[in-house]
Amino acid sequence: MTTIFFATDIHGSHVCWKKFIHSGKFYNADVIVLGGDITGKAIVPIIHLGGDSYRAVLLEQETLLDGEDAVQDMEKRIQSRGYYPYRTTPDEINELKAQPEKLDALFSAEVRKTLEQWLAYADEKLADSGIRCLVTLGNDDAFDLDDLVRTSKHVHLADGECIPLDDHHEMISSGWSNQTPWHTYREATEEQLQQRYASLVAQIKNPRQSIFNFHVPPFNSSLDQAPEMTADLRPRFAGNSLVPVGSTAVRAAIEEAQPLLGLFGHIHESKGTARIGRTLCINPGSMYEQGALCGAVINLGRNKIKTHMLTTG
Amino acid sequence: MASSSRDTTGDLFVRKATGLVRSWSVFDAFVYAAFSINLVTLGLYIFSQMYFLEGGLLPTLLISSAFILFEVLVYAALIAVMPRSGGDYVWQSRILGGGIGFVLAITGWWFILWLWVPLYSDMFRHLFLTPIFGLLGAKDLALWFGQNPLGLFLTSLVVCGFVAFYIAIGMKWYARIQKYCFWLGLAGLAIFFGLLLFGSPEAFQMSLNQEMPGLFGTAENVYTATMAAGQEAGAAAPMVGGGLGAILMAMPFMVFFNLWPNWGTALYGEIRGATDFKRNFSGMAWALIITTALGVVFFFLVQKTFTWDFYMNANAAWWNYAWGYTDQVPPLPIWPNPILLASMMLPGRFLKILVVLLISFWWFGWSGTVFLSSTRIIFAAAFDRLLPEKVAEVDEKTHTPVVALLLMVVPSIIVSALFAWNVFSFQSLTLNSTLVIAVTYLGTTIAAIILPYRKPELYNASPIAKYKVFGIPLITVGGVIFAAFLIFLLYAWLIDPLQLYGIGLANTSSIIFLLVMYGLAAAIYFGFKFYRKRSGINIDQVYQEIPIE
Repeated sequence: MTTIFFATDIHGSHVCWKKFIHSGKFYNADVIVLGGDITGKAIVPIIHLGGDSYRAVLLEQETLLDGEDAVQDMEKRIQSRGYYPYRTTPDEINELKAQPEKLDALFSAEVRKTLEQWLAYADEKLADSGIRCLVTLGNDDAFDLDDLVRTSKHVHLADGECIPLDDHHEMISSGWSNQTPWHTYREATEEQLQQRYASLVAQIKNPRQSIFNFHVPPFNSSLDQAPEMTADLRPRFAGNSLVPVGSTAVRAAIEEAQPLLGLFGHIHESKGTARIGRTLCINPGSMYEQGALCGAVINLGRNKIKTHMLTTG
Repeated sequence: MASSSRDTTGDLFVRKATGLVRSWSVFDAFVYAAFSINLVTLGLYIFSQMYFLEGGLLPTLLISSAFILFEVLVYAALIAVMPRSGGDYVWQSRILGGGIGFVLAITGWWFILWLWVPLYSDMFRHLFLTPIFGLLGAKDLALWFGQNPLGLFLTSLVVCGFVAFYIAIGMKWYARIQKYCFWLGLAGLAIFFGLLLFGSPEAFQMSLNQEMPGLFGTAENVYTATMAAGQEAGAAAPMVGGGLGAILMAMPFMVFFNLWPNWGTALYGEIRGATDFKRNFSGMAWALIITTALGVVFFFLVQKTFTWDFYMNANAAWWNYAWGYTDQVPPLPIWPNPILLASMMLPGRFLKILVVLLISFWWFGWSGTVFLSSTRIIFAAAFDRLLPEKVAEVDEKTHTPVVALLLMVVPSIIVSALFAWNVFSFQSLTLNSTLVIAVTYLGTTIAAIILPYRKPELYNASPIAKYKVFGIPLITVGGVIFAAFLIFLLYAWLIDPLQLYGIGLANTSSIIFLLVMYGLAAAIYFGFKFYRKRSGINIDQVYQEIPIE
């Protein structure tokens, strides 16, 4: 029997990454899988005011920081929300505001720096653990991160591969999503996704015993319910109106191949499980900004899923 | 292509990333919260049942609303710290533990809604069916629906079907329907208030005496007869005054109406800052404040045109009969629906029907809440493996969670039958509907009070961490005040020193009902925990935090 722990969409949260790395030991999992979107969404400047004084605004709350300890404490708080703390000066802030390409470069550098730290942490903690760590990059993750993940000894980039988990089960992975209003990195039309999935499915020996680890959930599966948006990206009806935003290509791939298990993410609010035919589909959701790692523990039997459980760890 | 960064305020640089949305409309949040503390359905229903209390209804409303503002504060703060968590169940489970979270949430958001079905139905028949049938000339049908237990039971079946339809069409369409219902209902409320504002006691009395015999077969001079019947039935509640003690003791009734501004809470989306906390607070608080203000306006307008004495006497006469204290049908043989009564001053039937129809949209827009909250909690429990996986399945063809719906509908029908025929004095359990949810809220409030101390890292990184009162976190201060209010309510309901509420220790049916509900919830929790353990699933791990080095 193989035990998988699956989590997704940790969006820059140091706490969630560390929890993910420790999840194998905690849940007695043989394989830990991260389903994509590891990149944070924002940089919070910690602005040097002169001397030992700094100023930071986290979640619209301004804090004046006095001394290195206070700054480090603020950096931890910022990181716990999944944001990148960045020590800077008022002059540099003005430069970043005026020159978007500099800001892009800064984002890229911060994302890479964080990921390097994460991979080093993983390599240290997973060494000799016997736990396999498979990571997919999601639609919010830039393409240059693929090579960075590949430098790790113990974190394996699963995207685009068919990976045997044990003698009976293989897993295919894709971090791409259907098109979103935010025009992120790994987005494609449903037709393109269909081709992408078809080439992955073709690599599996026994599709009915396989696992599909696709970032975007299947359309209209109840795992893809997101607040309906206005054209200017405001939640309609105060977020009370929910609409399915998943991928029809993912749904078609599952309906056709009927794998044992489908692992999804992307829609943080839509935590749950659902069945499409015989396939158990799971979206563990995400509460990364709370430092809570939403996940799923799945015990694979030879021809079936023996047990599964959603967790908030 | 995606590489660009945006939103450069200088305080925060944001990338283009999935899920980054602008703030929702406070007005929309207000609309959904206003539906939850529904003056027309919950308000008019419970005001009418308070006829025998000695505390003034107006100060009772104001004081209870002031306390409930702290509930708004607690919930808005919890959402700011733990957004997208799904509400009471997850908050309690993460802070207080899975067992407590399950038992309190399952009773407060699922089991007790079985009792709310006959209450929703009772409101529906009195607000809509009886008046409409009467106005359409079907007097006997109107009276049958209004008075007969089978009429109430059939109404419950209709309500179950209606609400199941809301579940089937999903939140996308229900949110739209609610919005339309809000505007239509508001138009009805404006006409209703206008009628009371421009009417006079003389005009009302004359039109009542003139119209009621034709519509509902009353005797001549129903106004005077109702006044006498109400006096005999013990009508006592004043509009104002009554002394502080009496006012406080009236609050456990009033909260049946106004304890719910948090039901319209937007639980979705990432909370980006203190502004979002304020927006959530504002949406709920304005709904509470404006609904309270509308309640006050209603009281004054009733006094002006119906006269307070007539209003309370009519209520007393009806409930004295409906609760079985007398077999004598009151002179006004229907629930004294204030909208119907006011519409008597309108010429012709069409306008009367229009007003009743418009105001009924407050019920139509609100009614979906009875099962929607329950299906959410049933799903959440199933995802946590505390219920079978089957209950969270959604039928492909109808897009309906059939099993979850059955778990709502079947017990609701049984409870509706018990309520309709008053088996085991079920009609005396009305306030249990509020008590059980208040217990759930108390659990959440305790979780809020200790949150800054139990989860300091989570709390300190939240947008409300800087809000303090004399150095104590605002969420804790607000929580203590609201918890004290809830504990007072629970004391009043359960101990009931003045025997006002009928659901306390003296009512065996009530206590058995409560014990069965909490016992059933505990049995499900421990039963499934045991069963899952045997299957190799450790339920304790669902909310256990992963330790990190």
